[in-house]
Amino acid sequence: MTTQGGVQYSKIAEIKGPLVIVDGVENAAFDELVEIETNEGEKRLGKVLEVGNGKAIVQVFEGTTGLSVSGTNAKFVGKVMEMPVSEEVLGRVFDGLGRPKDGLPDPVASSFLDINGAPMNPEQREYPKDFIQTGVSVIDGMLTLVRGQKLPIFSGSGMSHNILAAQIARQASVVGTSDEFAVVFAAIGVQFSEAEYFRRSLEESGALKRSVLFLNLADDPAIERIITPRVALTVAEYLAYDLGMHVLVILTDMTNYAEALREISAAREEVPGRKGYPGYLYTDLSTIYERAGRLRGKNGSVTQMPILSMPSDDITHPIPDLTGYITEGQIVLGRDLFRQGVYPPVNILMSLSRIMKDGIGEGRTRADHQEISNQNYDAYSRAQEVRALAGIVGKAGLTEVDLNYMNFGDEFENKFLTQAIDENRTIEETLGLQWNTISNLPKNELTKVKDKFIEQYYKE
Amino acid sequence: MVAQGRIVWVSGPAVKADGMADAKMYETVSVGEAKLIGEVIRLTGDVAFIQVYESTSGLKPGEPVVGTGNPLSVLLGPGIIGQIYDGIQRPLKDLADKSGSFIGRGITTTPVDMTKKYHFNPTVAVGDEVEPGNIIGTVPETSLIEHKILVPPNHAGGKITKIVSEGDYDLETEIAVVEKDGQSAPLKMYHKWPVRSPRPYLKRYDPTIPLLTGQRVIDTFFPLAKGGTGSIPGAFGTGKTVTLHQIAKWADSQVVVYIGCGERGNEMTEVLVEFPELKDPRTGKPLMDRTVLVANTSNMPVAAREASIYTGVTIAEYYRDMGYDVVLVADSTSRWAEALREMSGRLEEMPAEEGYPSYLASRLAEFYERAGRVRASGSPERDGSVSLVGAVSPSGGDFTEPVTTHTMRFIKTFWALDAKLAYSRHYPSINWMNSYSGYLADIAKWWSENISDDWLKLRGETYGILQREDTLKEIVRLLGPEALPDEEKLILEVARMIKIGILQQNSFDDVDTYCSPEKQFKLMKLLVDFYNQGQQALKDGAALADIRAMPVIASLLKARMEVKDDEMDKLEKVQNEMVEQFKNVTGVKVSN
Amino acid sequence: MPSLAELSLEKTVDQVLEKNRSQLLESLKLSFSESQQQLSDSLPELEKEYERILSEGQKEAEKIEKQIVGSSDLEVRNKALLLVEEHTSMVFEKAKEQIKNTKRDSNYSNLISTLLTEATEALGTSEITVFTNSTDKDIVQSAISKISGADLSSEQIDCMGGVKITSKDGSMTFDNTIDARFERMKPLIRKNIAAKFSLGN
Repeated sequence: MTTQGGVQYSKIAEIKGPLVIVDGVENAAFDELVEIETNEGEKRLGKVLEVGNGKAIVQVFEGTTGLSVSGTNAKFVGKVMEMPVSEEVLGRVFDGLGRPKDGLPDPVASSFLDINGAPMNPEQREYPKDFIQTGVSVIDGMLTLVRGQKLPIFSGSGMSHNILAAQIARQASVVGTSDEFAVVFAAIGVQFSEAEYFRRSLEESGALKRSVLFLNLADDPAIERIITPRVALTVAEYLAYDLGMHVLVILTDMTNYAEALREISAAREEVPGRKGYPGYLYTDLSTIYERAGRLRGKNGSVTQMPILSMPSDDITHPIPDLTGYITEGQIVLGRDLFRQGVYPPVNILMSLSRIMKDGIGEGRTRADHQEISNQNYDAYSRAQEVRALAGIVGKAGLTEVDLNYMNFGDEFENKFLTQAIDENRTIEETLGLQWNTISNLPKNELTKVKDKFIEQYYKE
Repeated sequence: MVAQGRIVWVSGPAVKADGMADAKMYETVSVGEAKLIGEVIRLTGDVAFIQVYESTSGLKPGEPVVGTGNPLSVLLGPGIIGQIYDGIQRPLKDLADKSGSFIGRGITTTPVDMTKKYHFNPTVAVGDEVEPGNIIGTVPETSLIEHKILVPPNHAGGKITKIVSEGDYDLETEIAVVEKDGQSAPLKMYHKWPVRSPRPYLKRYDPTIPLLTGQRVIDTFFPLAKGGTGSIPGAFGTGKTVTLHQIAKWADSQVVVYIGCGERGNEMTEVLVEFPELKDPRTGKPLMDRTVLVANTSNMPVAAREASIYTGVTIAEYYRDMGYDVVLVADSTSRWAEALREMSGRLEEMPAEEGYPSYLASRLAEFYERAGRVRASGSPERDGSVSLVGAVSPSGGDFTEPVTTHTMRFIKTFWALDAKLAYSRHYPSINWMNSYSGYLADIAKWWSENISDDWLKLRGETYGILQREDTLKEIVRLLGPEALPDEEKLILEVARMIKIGILQQNSFDDVDTYCSPEKQFKLMKLLVDFYNQGQQALKDGAALADIRAMPVIASLLKARMEVKDDEMDKLEKVQNEMVEQFKNVTGVKVSN
Repeated sequence: MPSLAELSLEKTVDQVLEKNRSQLLESLKLSFSESQQQLSDSLPELEKEYERILSEGQKEAEKIEKQIVGSSDLEVRNKALLLVEEHTSMVFEKAKEQIKNTKRDSNYSNLISTLLTEATEALGTSEITVFTNSTDKDIVQSAISKISGADLSSEQIDCMGGVKITSKDGSMTFDNTIDARFERMKPLIRKNIAAKFSLGN
């Protein structure tokens, strides 16, 4: 961002939290970009949250630390915040506000785009239906990812969500096409080591040159996190709809984003909704998540995989809760499986891919895919019940069928779910494994699969 | 005299303007240089508080605000069916034509094509007396809907002095002139109606006809009546949207209004892709020919989300007034309530629970009160209905939150979705213990007249088995199933069969997705028979293990998918097999 | 001569030896065939292992190759970016030099008037103090004489040209120096220059 035009005001009425309230403002617009200049000539960026009656409330992205009422100037730039985009952004690393962080110059822009984007017209959306093979069995088999989908990973602190996301980013491909993915990675308040793990993972797979990284690290300004997913998605939309690329966007960790939002809301003394989060958290999150999709008449797509850590592993916490209402399913990581050392520790019963049904089946994956997946869900759910029962009555109190379900459950976790972090399974391998595990059950227990599939695939 | 003011304050979708002394409450106004559409929601002195239906990014104090003199209204006339509108009745297709794939601002359109010619067939003649609500002619709108041209409810009525002959006319053509007390008033094929005012009717009926949806757990266990109100609350991932789509697809109404209120964009796209290809099971015509969509997705401006509910229900009432049964599905009323909360917060009103405004309950009541089966105004005599189904998205799946609790006060059918059922892939995940329907007694007559006198009794028996199982489950949880005597184990077994064979329904299975009332009844009867014969067999000395091993059980469980609606004889075969196999298990035991 | 006893002993020993030998031979044969069996059994295993090591090595090699190709591609691109940037800066410097030395003729006076009007309008007041550099001082002075309430500050600022104005109460500033305008234009100018180097897009 270079120095911008616009009137500079020096009457600062109040500074509180991340907000600066400027007085005597005659000519400012809602949402306008603001350049704050400190006594020392340091420049920070902000935007107008509220304007009127001579006052403007400005949210400062880099925080208000060190600002004083006298000597601080606010310049209203006359436009909303924009991100310069061109093909050149590929292979680049930016900070959380979209400024180069790799020592290279600003990208030479072919256009400047409003980072807030605009709502996609639902009538113009193309319904997602292209199967993405991630090479991770539990996802391909039971939580299929589809181009243009938004499928978050709900995790907890310390679990292997980033490893899983990186594996997906490395391995994702659409079978039968040579289309390559571009990866847009936005680190939102995560530790350096996590961001670095991701960068290295992309580098090692040779994918760095078709990736764009936005890094707001744990020690970077918190309010900047409001902007990070938005600049990242602006670039993703450009790559997808202007350049026709298939973009996988990974946003980690959205919990930090929501906390930044809460901080601003608290500073504005707004009436809070649940747990102190603003009442508009749902709407605000939707302006990020709904930027996934496909458009009619355009080649590219934006697929989102936001990652969020659930505070105290609580899925009813407002952040996972409201996210789940917007996204098209969720991949939930389970603490129990993680403790058992299972990777990826996906709790399939709590997980779901809403648009899976449209991306699989004959001509896409295989005709039996939906049914064998349903049967595995069903059986695993039953296996969990049997395990709980065995906890009460002991293994001796179980029927033979119950024992079959116990075996199924173990094999499901150890052979189907578990895989190495560099193991890339084809969809055929994945479906084969599903049949292997389900064949622990007698045939007449398979009520969700058509007989013809049982004949074809059941392992005696 | 229209108000002409100036913006003094902007914060998100909320704008204050001064110089607005001439503005009226709920008047629509044009805001700023970009001519954004807004609505006056509070007047203090000459300052108007305006909610803006489009993004206010870049709006500045000092920009003009101009009144239109009219409250927020919808245009009612042929061409509505099959459309997809935003929250304020702008066709999304027109928006796309004007601003491309992403929604631009300050775009004006007409809700229907005013230049398209419709074939008008007059049903009144010069000299006839008409009053508000009378039908003066008909227009074929789609393959399923004959559009009745009405004298608007706010029209004075009088004597027809001119009526055009049968032929093709566009919407702006003056098709009739009505004279009263020397005043003549023209009529066109459309009129406008303010969305926040319910349309009048003559009288209201008790809801006694079921609204059949082809969903067993709904029709058989927790039915909705035509003109009734229902609510479907559920945490995310419980299959709310799929259930609502099923209602919109298969409900036996003539018109469906589907409001996507603050929900996912791809879900609306799914409806748009799917409905034109799906056939109405009763008429064989494309479902889109009876459907209107109102889509204000979560990322579209929040104020228009608030309006979308009213836009939808007004359209529904209009088709009701033509004598049609209309189902309105609103997904989700929670997002609408959040829009209310957001505007209330910006107005700095005193909040009630969880920050929602204190008038949340009364707004919900007003909305659900617009449901009903009515005798429409005017002649010829005709009855129509609006049934309202509202989804609720309780935060954290907690049914004690304000939107759910208030909604429960104003609806009569409650379909409680259960995350636990969804996690075990029991769909639809409607919890049979927490759900209820207040229409059961009212509609029992319909079932006994049309299907069987035994319906209510059998339904009671089936539900009784589920209730017994629910209590027994506690014991099983503590002691394991072996602690129960055989006749109670049989209850568990049959309850499991009811869950798999009746309550569960696969919306993605070609056969199972829709279940006729007759098949619903027969499946229920089969399972109740199984239960009764099973208990008898136990008394006669049969072993439970032998009953459990009966091959007919698989047929009973798969019947919902394997037996098509026109193959009821197959169910009789299953019935015979069952009787035969019970004989065997009893016989085997005796011969031992 | 060996005694009978010895003979019989020898015989017995022979017998035992003979028996043992055949047993030994038998077991030797067996163990040979067993070990052969084992060998042939383990051969495919070995082969598999060998192949596994090979393919892993190959995988690793492919990975490294991908990585090297990927990063060298990037490096080349990044060097090009820096090069273009360097040249762009040079063009900028030259342009600045030219602007600095622009003749202060009537066109320039008009420009100053335009800059002044624009700035005053932005502030919404004509009660202003105007700053400029020493070169433009006189031109600016004559331009502001037409604006009532505007004063030229005696303090001079460091810029290529143009004006910077401040409301008299000091609460508002508008920087309309050529430097500031140049900075505002910079992204667009960079795009044009880069296009001339035919790089980037």
